[in-house]
Amino acid sequence: MKTRRLFTFVFCLLMLFILPYKTFAGFPIGKYRNLVVPSFSYYSQTDHFDVHGNYIKGAPGARFSSFSANLYVGYGISRRLDLIISVPYLYQVNNLGQGKSIISQGAGDMVAGLSYNLINFKYVRFLSVQVSGIIPLYTAPANGNSALGLGNNGAEVKLMYCGSLPNFIADKGYFNTEVAYRRYFNAQGPDQFSFLGTVGIPVSWHNQVSLDVTVFRSFSSNTTFNINYNAERDYAFVKPQLNFGHQFSRRFSMFLGGYYVPYGINTGLGYGGSVVAIFKL
Amino acid sequence: MMKRICCLLFLFPCIIMAGALRASAIQQQQPEFPEPPQTQETGDIVLKPTPKSDNGIFKKNEEIVYRLKITNNTNSYKQGKISYLLTTDEGKKLRIDSVHLAIRGNSSKEILVKMLPKPTGFYRISFMVNTPDYDDTVRKVFGVNPQEIRSQLHKPADFEAFWKQSRVQLEKVAPRYRVLEREDLSTDRKKVYSVEMHSFDDLVIRGWLVIPRDGKKFPVHYRVPGYVVSLNPNMDSDDFIAFDINVRGNGNSKDVINIGTDNYCLVNVENKDKYIYRGVYMDCIRGLDFLCSHENLGIDTSKIFVEGGSQGGALALITAALDKRVKLLTMQVPLFADIHDNMNISASYVKQVFPFKVFRRYNDIHPGFTWDKFYGTFDYYDPQNFAPMVKCPVLMGIGLLDQFCPPRCSMALFNHISSTSKEYVCVPNSTHEVNMDYFMFQNLWLREKFRIP
Repeated sequence: MKTRRLFTFVFCLLMLFILPYKTFAGFPIGKYRNLVVPSFSYYSQTDHFDVHGNYIKGAPGARFSSFSANLYVGYGISRRLDLIISVPYLYQVNNLGQGKSIISQGAGDMVAGLSYNLINFKYVRFLSVQVSGIIPLYTAPANGNSALGLGNNGAEVKLMYCGSLPNFIADKGYFNTEVAYRRYFNAQGPDQFSFLGTVGIPVSWHNQVSLDVTVFRSFSSNTTFNINYNAERDYAFVKPQLNFGHQFSRRFSMFLGGYYVPYGINTGLGYGGSVVAIFKL
Repeated sequence: MMKRICCLLFLFPCIIMAGALRASAIQQQQPEFPEPPQTQETGDIVLKPTPKSDNGIFKKNEEIVYRLKITNNTNSYKQGKISYLLTTDEGKKLRIDSVHLAIRGNSSKEILVKMLPKPTGFYRISFMVNTPDYDDTVRKVFGVNPQEIRSQLHKPADFEAFWKQSRVQLEKVAPRYRVLEREDLSTDRKKVYSVEMHSFDDLVIRGWLVIPRDGKKFPVHYRVPGYVVSLNPNMDSDDFIAFDINVRGNGNSKDVINIGTDNYCLVNVENKDKYIYRGVYMDCIRGLDFLCSHENLGIDTSKIFVEGGSQGGALALITAALDKRVKLLTMQVPLFADIHDNMNISASYVKQVFPFKVFRRYNDIHPGFTWDKFYGTFDYYDPQNFAPMVKCPVLMGIGLLDQFCPPRCSMALFNHISSTSKEYVCVPNSTHEVNMDYFMFQNLWLREKFRIP
């Protein structure tokens, strides 16, 4: 039971964590320009939070580990309009203890959509909206559950506000805030609301640190915990992530990030890291 | 706990948005280049006219609408008259109208001023307040359908041959480049070089080359100077090599020609072959020669953009017209454009301003010097005559209140440019300058055109 629950929240977490946030920020990509962002993430978890937010220690020997790769591509159709496509690939190992494990792998949910810059505030700050479709790249079994995703199409609308920090806070610093609503087309949803806040500050000419804070809530009429992790649709968490970025050239940067989940409901208590490469072409 | 977090989740961006809008509003109230305090900001009764279109440009057949905010800064009730006078940009009266004003102390009100659509062109509109004890006037300019403005080209028959011959003469001068690293001016991020070369008529000119240390090859920002302006090393850009040239008589290129602003544009104005701008234009070409012969310094010769404001705007355009090594052109308030119409427009000014202030003075004190003679020379130098030769992408910025470079002349020049990729930015409350928004956009525009991050 616990294992499946772990699987559920971890899967849901991964679907968020593997996304390289910085590239989803509301900064317009720019007409005719491309952004290619491959990323790799690792996540590990032994414990979790129950439906009341109580900490539950995992079973001895049980551990969920996940390795995932994601390719994000953005193309500037015009000065305001960008096309974005994101394709994840997952490899998950669920050690149940006593030598038993379940392995699942394959492409996850593709996210494809358009981002439109509604207002630019003197070319320093930008308010943008993004509308995306979510398409599972795997075939869900008859019972609708899959190790790779919820198995339903979905849609997301996201409002993004980002830009430069005032100079008195940090010269060449930046911020990004995103509020998103996502709906999976299923009678049980879920309806998901999320907030992401990011602040990035350069620490030297080519290096920066950034802090992301994600607050996530997924609502569903199906609040029953199910051993099948894909049936888990009602959960929440708060997640801070610290990143270090290095600019190798004007066209290539890399970010290393680490995160931890200090609080959640029906979700895993784990940690993870990511490596994100950003190519501006 | 989670409910609180969800509430915060939505409140936080709302607060940030509100803050941003507030900050934006404050920024709008504080111009990037503050102008001297004007009567309208400190007077008893303040008039603040705002055109319906943000940039002061109206479309063909569009009603002209201004929102006029009237603020009474005194404690007493005021009565009087609000009126407006509409004229062409040559001062021809088109319409005058007025309404009765009655406003309480320390209060404000707004009225809408509407006018029928106007033909293509630029118009001056003066808003006036008259009370028994206070008078004030606020002047604005708006444009209608400016991309359709047409002007006559006064291009001499041998115009191309004249400039071809000038290039031949320039090529006969050995450049004898001298490039000296200036460690005293360099920083840990940029190397600064002083550059010296021989140009037209074998005059020595100099410039400043600034190369970021962080990279091997860079596109180039080639800046040409304003009217008798001294250009210094441009340390602003991390992504471009900056080359700033001081043409003859400017900055550190005053070995032979060293005269002030009152006479610079008059040197040999009666002789087209010896007019100072022949050498000046060729100096800009020589600067390009320098860039293209120094790829070893990390110069990406396939990505050179030329930029300038005022006289620099004219020089930038002429450089792009005469030399296809220029890949992009950005110019602000280009001086001397459409010089014939500029003369007609400037004739209506209450007080003369540059450049016709200088030309008229010269005309006054030289009895033999006729306007025909002036144009006999200047038609070889009017930037407008070079515009059809510009094929590269162009960005131009203009100020609607500019009297040195009237908007109609700048737009006439712009409309003669052959390039199919050209854009202009209109700054409604600027005089002979653009604002920071323009330069922010220019930065994005350059990156878009050069496809650089």
